[in-house]
Amino acid sequence: MSQSLAPECNEVKERYDTCFLKWYSEKYLRGLGTTDNNECAGLFKEYSKCLQGALKDRGIDKLLDEAREDNKENDAALMGKKK
Amino acid sequence: MKVFSNTETFNYSWEEVSTANWRKYCPWNQKSTHVVAVDTLSRTVDPETGILRTERLITCRQSAPDWLKKMIGGNIEDSHVFETSYVDPRSKTVTMVSSNLTWNNLISVQETVVYRPFNEHQTRFEQTAQITALCGGWQRIKSSIEDTLVKRFHENAVKGKEGFEAVLAMSRRVFAEEREREKMMMLQSQAANIRLAA
Repeated sequence: MSQSLAPECNEVKERYDTCFLKWYSEKYLRGLGTTDNNECAGLFKEYSKCLQGALKDRGIDKLLDEAREDNKENDAALMGKKK
Repeated sequence: MKVFSNTETFNYSWEEVSTANWRKYCPWNQKSTHVVAVDTLSRTVDPETGILRTERLITCRQSAPDWLKKMIGGNIEDSHVFETSYVDPRSKTVTMVSSNLTWNNLISVQETVVYRPFNEHQTRFEQTAQITALCGGWQRIKSSIEDTLVKRFHENAVKGKEGFEAVLAMSRRVFAEEREREKMMMLQSQAANIRLAA
């Protein structure tokens, strides 16, 4: 798996990535993973908590907020919602 | 604005490609070394459509031309990209849109990548990037910034394909070994049951 930008998050990231990949290939692609409240949710929460601090320290959190705002059109086009 | 586009075909099923895509930048890929970190920021499944939406932060480290370094100053080697991807399991499409978080007041890089099945055993990869230098000033400078980035995109695309091929081959091997191990374990337990029964 790839590294985290925050070395202190690498260990939990590795565990989350492994869990996700298993879920994706064995459940999601077979139509069995229809919710994000799955076996990896706890690990993701832990990883996110670690990452949030690192993003804030580096000032990346603010850049991300702007990028999310700019991405709204893509969301509308690609989330496949029928109006 | 300059546009870079590229199409490739991978000799793997869409399921294999879309799975391996999550670890495109792992140590199995020794070509795309400019990507130093990939972090997942959010991940949700839409209950209505089944679409898996993922936000990632990609950290790159790549040397920049000296003239650009002088112009911009500071640490130009590290940059961040924000990527949002959408996996639609019904239409079997992965769409990834990315934009640069760093230097985005000077340069805008908007990239879209789509993976879709070509047939049962092959997957198409379509990549488009729009590169626009936003800084005021001479057209010539803007144009050379754009050209430098288009060239960089081309170099990374060639390396990216080679690196991803290695990841795909390793993924197939690891999955096959895992299946083999599961089969062996099942056979062993069946054999043990037979011995017990005898």
